[in-house]
Amino acid sequence: MTRRPAPDSIRISRRTVRIGITVAVVLLALLAIVGLAMAARANEPVTIASTAQIQVQQAAAERDIERAYEQSGEQVSKVHALNLPISAAQADQIALKALTDLRTLRHSAFLSLGQVMSMAAAEAETYATATDTRFDQAPVAKQTASPSPVLLAPRFYSIVARMSELATLLADQATTQLTAPPPSSSPSPAPSGSARPSASPSPTR
Amino acid sequence: MRYARTVIVVGAIALGLLLGAALDPQGLPWVGSERLSAVFLLDGQAYFGHLEDTPFSGTIVLRDVYYINDASKVTTDLPVGLLKRGSELHQPVDTMYIRRDRVLAIERVTASSPIGLAIAGQRALDRGTK
Repeated sequence: MTRRPAPDSIRISRRTVRIGITVAVVLLALLAIVGLAMAARANEPVTIASTAQIQVQQAAAERDIERAYEQSGEQVSKVHALNLPISAAQADQIALKALTDLRTLRHSAFLSLGQVMSMAAAEAETYATATDTRFDQAPVAKQTASPSPVLLAPRFYSIVARMSELATLLADQATTQLTAPPPSSSPSPAPSGSARPSASPSPTR
Repeated sequence: MRYARTVIVVGAIALGLLLGAALDPQGLPWVGSERLSAVFLLDGQAYFGHLEDTPFSGTIVLRDVYYINDASKVTTDLPVGLLKRGSELHQPVDTMYIRRDRVLAIERVTASSPIGLAIAGQRALDRGTK
């Protein structure tokens, strides 16, 4: 007994079926490869620093901030100690303002450090104040033991870089103000040719 | 016939694994720890991140990219700073295509190196580690 196809049925040759199956298998294999690659990328292991490692980074960032503060403060103090063209009262006022601004800047930097460490606002404020006090008692410049250098994480580095930039700016501004000649109230007399000494006196015989 | 097919498929998979392992056993997915790469370019610039080096492609792909910045004027311990790519003016997405013919060298970054530790620290901060 043989089965005969119905007169209106479609006949597909075996060759066509084989080609179709091959194409389907290749497509499935490609999908599997792409899927596997995506899964591998999504589940790629990543290293996250431990709390101890973060504390090392935090301590290094604190030192770097303090170093910027101390260097700029020292610059202002050194310039203040010079013989300046302005009055002593003016110099005191400018130096005091610069040092106060530097203190505020350092406090803000420590506050930012606390915020980066996911501290709450009040906790970050307490941390910044405590760190200020700690470094006031033991400045970095007076510390004898130097810990091994640390490459900061980008978020810590951006705070330190900003602190350095602004501290340098404040110190340079104060230096400019301290060393600038005072504005004279009366116009200076025009130099006369006869009264001016010669820069290169001619030899007399 | 079915047995022969099974043997061919299993053999092909085994051969693929063997060849892959012969090239770089650590390169297999889900094996070992994180694989950070350093890509040094001919112009002296260096980038760090997850490398995808597809054969027969004119470019290599770097994801989660970091680079070194001059910090000689910053009061850090080292005269360089590490920056994460993405904060530039054009705020690029976290994928960098590098022309293969501009690459001088590619090296694996050790997790305990300063670069590895700084990147791990950045991730911890990003995840809000306290």
